[in-house]
Amino acid sequence: MDETLLQFIRHLRNNGLAISTAETLDAMRVVATLGYSDPDLLRDGLASCLAKTVEDHSHFAACFERFFRAPIGESITDNNTKDEAENTDLDDTNNPNEGDGAGGGEGAGNGQGSGGSGSIGQRDNTLSEVIRAAAEIGLENIKFRTQRGVYRRKILNALNDEQKVSDIQQLQDAGEIEQALILGQLRDRQIAAVKDVIDRQLLLNNDAAGKQLRDDTIKDTSLSAMEHYHRERLPPLIRKLAKKLASRHRQRHKRARRGKLDLGKTLRRNIAYGGIPFHRFWKTTRKDKSDIFVLCDISGSVSAWSRVLLLFVQALSDVLPNTRSFVFCGQSIEVSDLFKQYPADEAMAIIQQRHGLGGSDYGLALNSFWNQIEDKLNRRSCVIILGDGRGNGGDTGIDALRSIYHRARLVLWFNPESHYSWNTGDSEIRRYQSASHYVAECGSLRKLERLLDQLLSLLR
Amino acid sequence: MTDARKDIEQLIAKLAEQGYIASSAIATTLYIAQQLERPILIEGPPGVGKTELANATAAMLAKPLFRLQCYEGLDESKALYDWKYSKQLLYVQVLKEQLHDILDGTDGLANAVERLHNFDDIFYSERFLEPRPLLKALQSDDGAVLLIDEIDKADYEFESLLLEILADFSVTLPEIGTLRARHKPLVILTSNNTRDLSDALKRRCLHLYIPFPEAKLESRIVQSRVPAVPDELRRQLVNFVHGVRELDLKKQPAISETIDWARSLLLLHCDSLSRELVEDTLNVLLKYEEDINMVSPELHGLIKRASSNL
Repeated sequence: MDETLLQFIRHLRNNGLAISTAETLDAMRVVATLGYSDPDLLRDGLASCLAKTVEDHSHFAACFERFFRAPIGESITDNNTKDEAENTDLDDTNNPNEGDGAGGGEGAGNGQGSGGSGSIGQRDNTLSEVIRAAAEIGLENIKFRTQRGVYRRKILNALNDEQKVSDIQQLQDAGEIEQALILGQLRDRQIAAVKDVIDRQLLLNNDAAGKQLRDDTIKDTSLSAMEHYHRERLPPLIRKLAKKLASRHRQRHKRARRGKLDLGKTLRRNIAYGGIPFHRFWKTTRKDKSDIFVLCDISGSVSAWSRVLLLFVQALSDVLPNTRSFVFCGQSIEVSDLFKQYPADEAMAIIQQRHGLGGSDYGLALNSFWNQIEDKLNRRSCVIILGDGRGNGGDTGIDALRSIYHRARLVLWFNPESHYSWNTGDSEIRRYQSASHYVAECGSLRKLERLLDQLLSLLR
Repeated sequence: MTDARKDIEQLIAKLAEQGYIASSAIATTLYIAQQLERPILIEGPPGVGKTELANATAAMLAKPLFRLQCYEGLDESKALYDWKYSKQLLYVQVLKEQLHDILDGTDGLANAVERLHNFDDIFYSERFLEPRPLLKALQSDDGAVLLIDEIDKADYEFESLLLEILADFSVTLPEIGTLRARHKPLVILTSNNTRDLSDALKRRCLHLYIPFPEAKLESRIVQSRVPAVPDELRRQLVNFVHGVRELDLKKQPAISETIDWARSLLLLHCDSLSRELVEDTLNVLLKYEEDINMVSPELHGLIKRASSNL
């Protein structure tokens, strides 16, 4: 079993590349064919079976550099740093085992490759001892930065550090100061090496467990309660969720019904052959694509949610081809073109800047929305409205919504408020409920994902 | 130099004989694909020689090339196999008389059916099978190169159809059974990245991304394709194209356009780039009016840079 390769793949996974077992097996065959001796060759070869998209390729290149080329332990010796870096590079090309050494947690025979001056040899000895100890205690399992201390202690214990401390103490007591000083220096060097090795492993692990934990928390947190800092993490997370949804619903796309004979047409066209069906004609059904209209409230109270929904809908554009997006504070304004022109994040910023001022006026919004889409609405249309239904006591626009309700196939109202605060204060959600097919609470990202999942299965 | 490196160098040399200048990454992937018997999925902007690589590989290996151009609505009856319906029908009509003879002397329906059963499914045998490119590639006697071009234009169902072929090099026909490849063909898929391909498909392929080449490589490509272009002009025009690619264009000029441009400059018998010349021939390089308008004001600087830097 090729431990170095497995570690490298773990490193890639920690950096967000999805690598399956089948691909791991492929990579092993690649390594068996190419060997470790030629780094450029190895990089090109592994890239072809481990990085499967254009973005993955750049990630892969960075990870490869970090894993196989980055010299470790530069801080251990102050002098000759440059020399050593070169030395390590050379080792990479000459000695296949050096790859193991750079792998952080790998113990077997490494670091012995370079000769040269005494200090370098000693440094390598220290380093290889530390790396061996790290492998023994399973340093590659380190997940969080906060575990540093624990692992440092574990490695030092494995290196028999206490013995060294007491040795130094004894020497000092015995008056052999010089000897004690040398031992002390050696120990300092070792501790520095331990720190380096741990830092490197943390870098390789890329805080993957921490990120996963954060993502899970974000999915369940109500957006209104979310810190601004975490909102930054939302767009990539939404894209990830949307990709999952898209791949789930894409496969079931069915085209024309193949295999059913259009008997009438076949008979008619084959009269010339005495009724023997030389040419066959198949029944086809035209695929009805649903149109989706999304109307989002972008006034202060729910703008964060509108942002999420719009981003979600944009990311789903693969499976929802005919989507038109509208936003409103007062007048409803179509923003579909902005999403075509700019990347989603940028488009959101522009929308917020141009249209996102003031409180929501549902009367004006719904009426203008109805005017704009009246001629486009039909039995295939699905309308999604996101808002909290709090019109500040103004016109509700319920008549416009009712007209939409009568025409469209489906009117969904997503309400980011918790179910318990509906119909309190100036909320008109009860009236809107009477003119929409379903009012759903979309309190967290997970709930919204579930709603869209159901919607997608319904629309097919 | 290791064995693998030697083999790959050889591969580059052999491809060069076919007029295809491959970078090290391309050759490495091709080498691995041959060793591992895996399909290659090639992505990259249009015109960087994705399809050309398949052509050159087929020529290099001296094997037939089967090309399947993908488009929306492509299905198995056009890509994989179809039954020769007309032939079946014709045979049925012709053999009608025979049927009488065969059934002569049977008494009762059950006996007649029993006798017919002895004749197997003759109308659904390989004789009535119309192989399409995919099946042809699998059936070829001593290997082949199968090019599945622009897979991103096909539907998702078609991707699923490909999975069996890409993983096992076999196809299952309901009426006949599973047909295995006699010789595993080298499969090359290309994609222009107009949509994401499914993970299942990607998992079964090696992935190769071909970007626009570096100036040095592109210069060699032009040299191999249009050898008559003088060195100085070649250097200038390649540098110029590289300068153009740095601008925000609707469609960036690809290698094929560089080559076309080199050919047209050759026809015009010029030795170096001049402003009038470039203005007159810019439409060979750029395919959009907007792009030409964008590049025109920059011409002076671009030409100066192209002819100065070494």
